[in-house]
Amino acid sequence: MTARKSGSRLETEIERCRSEAQWDKIPELVRQLSAKLISNDDLGELLLGECKLQTYLKENPIKQGASPRGPRPKLVEVRKHLTAALDRGNLKADYLQEASLLMAKLCYVEGEYKDALGNTNLVGAPVYRLSMIAEAYATKGLCLEKVGSTEREQEIITCYEKSGDIALLYLQEAEKALSAGIQNRSPKPGPAAQDQELGYFLETGLQRAHVIHFKNGNLTHGVGRFREILRAVETRTTQNLRMTIARQLAEILLRGMCEQSYWSPLEDPPTASPLDDPTRQGHTHSKNYSLSRRPRVYSGENLFCPQENTEEALLLLLISESMANRDAVLSRIPEHNNDRIISLQSASVVYDLLTIALGRRGQYEMLSECLERAMKFAFEEFHLWYQLALSLMAAGKSARAVKVIKECIRLKPDEPTIPLLAVKLCIGPLHWLEEGESFAKMVIDMGEKAAEFRAKGYLAIGLVYSLKATDASLRSTQEEYQRKALGAFQRLAQSLSPTDHLAAFYLALQLAVSRQIPEALGYVRQALQLQGDDVHSLHLLALLLSAQKHYHDALNIIEMALSEYPENFNLLYTKVKLESMCRGPEEALLTCKHMLQIWKSFYNLTNPSDSGRGSSLLDRAIADRRQLNAMTLPDFSDPETGRHTHTCRVTSPPLPPSKNQTFTPLPPPPPLPPPGPTKTRSHPFCNHVTLRRFSSTCSVHATSIAASRVEQALSEVASSLQSSAPKQGPLHPWMTLAQIWLHAAEVYIGMSKPAEASACTQEAANLFPTSHNVLYMKGQIAELRGNIDEAKRWYEEALSINPTHVKTMQRLGLILHQLQRYSLSEKVLRDAVQVNSTAHDVWNSLGEVLQAQGNAAAATECFLTALELEASSPILPFTIIPRAL
Amino acid sequence: MLAMDQGVVEEWLSEFKTLPDSAVSTYAASLKDKGALVPALYKVIRENYSDLLEPVCHQLFEFYRSGEPQLQRFTLQFLPELLWSLLSVSAARDPHTSGCIEALLLGIYNLEIVDKDGQSKVLSFTVPSLSKPSVYHEPSAIGSMALTEGALANHGLSRVVYSGPHLQRETFTAQNRFEVLTFLLLCYNAALSYMTSTSLQSLCQLSSRVCICGYPRQQMRRYKGISTRLTVTSEFLVQLITGIHYALCNGEVELGSKALDDVLYRAQLELFPEALLVGNAIKSSLHGAALKSNTKEGARSIQVEITPTSSRISRNAVTSLSIRGHRWKRHDAVDLGSPDELMDISEVDEGVWPGGVGPEITPPTITISNSVTTLNLGAKAMKKCRLGGRTSKDKDKEAGPLLAARAASENAELSVKRLTLTSSQSVPKAGALTSLTRTASAVFSRSFEQVASGNAPPSSNHNASEAGRYSCSLQEEGLGYLSPGPNHTQRSPSISVHLGSDL
Repeated sequence: MTARKSGSRLETEIERCRSEAQWDKIPELVRQLSAKLISNDDLGELLLGECKLQTYLKENPIKQGASPRGPRPKLVEVRKHLTAALDRGNLKADYLQEASLLMAKLCYVEGEYKDALGNTNLVGAPVYRLSMIAEAYATKGLCLEKVGSTEREQEIITCYEKSGDIALLYLQEAEKALSAGIQNRSPKPGPAAQDQELGYFLETGLQRAHVIHFKNGNLTHGVGRFREILRAVETRTTQNLRMTIARQLAEILLRGMCEQSYWSPLEDPPTASPLDDPTRQGHTHSKNYSLSRRPRVYSGENLFCPQENTEEALLLLLISESMANRDAVLSRIPEHNNDRIISLQSASVVYDLLTIALGRRGQYEMLSECLERAMKFAFEEFHLWYQLALSLMAAGKSARAVKVIKECIRLKPDEPTIPLLAVKLCIGPLHWLEEGESFAKMVIDMGEKAAEFRAKGYLAIGLVYSLKATDASLRSTQEEYQRKALGAFQRLAQSLSPTDHLAAFYLALQLAVSRQIPEALGYVRQALQLQGDDVHSLHLLALLLSAQKHYHDALNIIEMALSEYPENFNLLYTKVKLESMCRGPEEALLTCKHMLQIWKSFYNLTNPSDSGRGSSLLDRAIADRRQLNAMTLPDFSDPETGRHTHTCRVTSPPLPPSKNQTFTPLPPPPPLPPPGPTKTRSHPFCNHVTLRRFSSTCSVHATSIAASRVEQALSEVASSLQSSAPKQGPLHPWMTLAQIWLHAAEVYIGMSKPAEASACTQEAANLFPTSHNVLYMKGQIAELRGNIDEAKRWYEEALSINPTHVKTMQRLGLILHQLQRYSLSEKVLRDAVQVNSTAHDVWNSLGEVLQAQGNAAAATECFLTALELEASSPILPFTIIPRAL
Repeated sequence: MLAMDQGVVEEWLSEFKTLPDSAVSTYAASLKDKGALVPALYKVIRENYSDLLEPVCHQLFEFYRSGEPQLQRFTLQFLPELLWSLLSVSAARDPHTSGCIEALLLGIYNLEIVDKDGQSKVLSFTVPSLSKPSVYHEPSAIGSMALTEGALANHGLSRVVYSGPHLQRETFTAQNRFEVLTFLLLCYNAALSYMTSTSLQSLCQLSSRVCICGYPRQQMRRYKGISTRLTVTSEFLVQLITGIHYALCNGEVELGSKALDDVLYRAQLELFPEALLVGNAIKSSLHGAALKSNTKEGARSIQVEITPTSSRISRNAVTSLSIRGHRWKRHDAVDLGSPDELMDISEVDEGVWPGGVGPEITPPTITISNSVTTLNLGAKAMKKCRLGGRTSKDKDKEAGPLLAARAASENAELSVKRLTLTSSQSVPKAGALTSLTRTASAVFSRSFEQVASGNAPPSSNHNASEAGRYSCSLQEEGLGYLSPGPNHTQRSPSISVHLGSDL
């Protein structure tokens, strides 16, 4: 660098070094400068003073909140330089100002606040000088504060705000200059690309104003100031500041504001706000300065401007998240431990706030997507994993949730809630009974540690066994699981506090399923004493009464339950059944009509069929809401005779239980042309030998799984073709509707009105044309009309979709019997008995077929079994009552 | 109840009746000067059998119906107390006493669920999206976003309904009770800033009691009211938590944190994911934050500090950002040090992606584009590479796809492009390369989703295949995640072999 630089070039170089804070180069440049012209000496002094002061500050940074420490030997030199530059008065006006600004800064650093004040006197100027002016305002503010002039608070704030605005402008200009410089680079690039640091004064200038606002309890202005800073176009240097401020503003929006006290960033703040400290109302502050140049703000057409506090908080958090995510420290070497902790902390605060904001608005799906992005931080971080698991669960992504829960269990093996959450998913939407069992065992194995959750563990395992018993095809396994389930519920009863009704309720349900009606009645009464308005207990009581053929009492109970749960379709289905039994079909039809009305007011309020397909999120939101409604409606959980449903559920984890509408053993048959199953009540005793014999062969489940999967798919395609119902959850209301129509059809069949029944069935068929229940109903109508062949065809179609639909099998068996194809009929009926060994009418039909074949002994056994089962058969299967955690 | 309180309440009752319509707003403003009134009203509500209850409820409803915001807020401040009164009475199965409170609450509910024209009100909000410019950002500055299916679906702003439409309700039933109460709390939460600290305290008490009554924790809290369990819904708890959060941050530290604990306790027992989610988030975000209990009425405790603007993360740490500068290459394109080391890497990769990815698809190698010398990688550089390779795999979705993406042609194209870029000093911010990378990662994330969901069926060993596919470390768990395993802190090549053997 011995070669001399020409004057202007030298000056450019100096200017560049100053703006890029390369203070170490200054002395050399100054030497060259003063070698050129004597009059440059003063400028040289100024530059030397500046570079020494800046270097000093870099080496001894002033900490926020700490006061500068008085005179320092190193600074004496700085003072000498600056005094020399100022004293001779030869400086150009611009430089004179710079010198004064530096002097003021020096005075502040040395702790001479009063002296510093004298030197600040300002006008607007270009790039590097902008930073000096900004620093000067900050310095002035600092000095005023130190002097302690409370009456000048307004002035102090104005100083800081000006300083902040100018600093932002400076940073924007500096970045512009830098990017221009990249294209026509001067000789040596220098390490300028490195992030510039703001330094104490600019940092203070940018942030002190809002800190004071918040300290004074003046939230309105603090928020206003935050917004001003955030609206300024980002620069490299402000990125971190923006990330922090965005997060802080989001925090304030979520913690300190509400919908009513919110105002949008482009509106004027309200004059009187509950957010401001009323005791300090005197200090109302208004912006009373204008700058000739202001920092550029984001502008353009169609700029999104939040209109609500959650919206703004979300926007800010998404911005903050994108930055925090970018800074995720990925290396795991020990040297970077601290960095990793810092990046993790700043990110997890953002994710927590996102959770709060999105949780308030019920947007769990979006939340789960956000939290997935947090996973790059999540190694061995329990909190992040757990939150992801919960969000997946809340968003209905059950299968993934269970996987994430496994990792949570690994990280915190002693926490009983976590495996319980997994069991909830496993026995609920997923129907993964094996996994559910192992999770439940984890809780029980925790023993005393699990405290209050231990009871929950017994409940969980009991439910798993109970569901397994329903699914089991072998009678021995079925009994085994039933025994285990009862055992678990009894343990539950012992370990639970006496105020919990669940133990008694589930004991009752389990006993009911195994047809121990009187014992079940005892427990359900106990449950009702503890929790009088529990809908499931009431429903179970009604079903138990119906099993004892006290239909009127059952109906009374149902009506009582309906007064508390008027929109519970499950109860209403039972009511329809009971009414057609004891009050005649007209009443039942009225109830069907009532159900349609409820359905309409419930689901049609939003007019789902009109909501355009374009606004998918809106659709989804409506869908979500409906699912919420569904939570209070445990109706779909367990239609169909027993175990079959579950095979269907297995196949369709994400779907709310299948389209197998609720049907029961037919009410003793409609007046059909062919001889219906006629009951002979002549043999009052029975044994289970036949039961065992018939059901000890292997199961038919595998086929039914595939079949019902096909059905799901077909119905889905069909329904999505004709209505705008989106794929999953929103099917629920349509399924309810179809079910109501089918119930009505059944009532009409009972009244021997094929035309009406056919019309009702058609309504359901419009929704789910390939549902086996629809086809089954069509078969019944055909039978009613005397078209045996047609009926057979429908039944066969129904079975091709769902090969284990017991009622269809039973009807088909009867028809085959009529057609005198006895052995085929016997085969079909035996299959049906295997699927559901408690269907008394199947046993009865089987008995008839055997009788017709001349196998009187076996027929007798079948009739006896049918008889015994009929005596304890409820009007709808007990398993219609949901079993869930 | 003291005679004085009774007098205050009676005066309040008669005063409003005689008020001309024009004077309503001045009257509303003057309400807060009546210091003795609010406590007296609380007493009336708490003492369920008071004769004054019915006229008070009636007047509170009139206030609400007036439409004057200040009067509405006056009524709202009693909401937590009214809710508790209703719930405790219904739990005690004593249906006669709460008739007027029920009527008041249903009245407010039925007023709030419709707009001015009597149409069902739907509360909605806009989900902001970073892909659309806003007053606070420009999409281009945010950089590439993961093009997940969800991100694409949310591309652009969408309005989302979060409450409503609701049905008019004539009576409370067990079925609709919490639906109505949840909505009422939503209204209350919308006016939280206007609520007095007494009201916030009452909210915290309500939350605690609703959640613990009838549970063992009731003894711990020494609450001796009713001891029957109240059924709750998850949405109701989330609304309670929202209010508690505000109380917690605005002076009610003690009651607030107790209430939050109680709600979380109950949410755990009920296994409500929504309430647990929000409650945990609040707890964790307040952890370490110094909450100041308020000393005087109305002091809100939100404070901020000056924070350093420079990044606190050291420059040489590998971050998501810095790794974007890194480039993946085919190893045959670069002259790597020794063939042995190369072998190590191949083993690693075969271990990581045993299925589907044949040997022709290459292990990751890194060149650090900012450094001037990249091509000549010595042993030391190799070490660095491997480290980078591992950590970048942690960053699953970004790094994995380039290798796992089945489109081999795309891969080839990428590596060709990359070759041309390796020795350049600065990385172009946008351009063909980055956009390609993005596409590739998008493809991957989608396939990731598919496989992850495709594995849903209840097979106990489905994990194995999935682990084989994605996980480089979680051998025993088989989670669908690329979570870095414990051995990532080491750097020796043996890790990789170990990994492979587990799969």
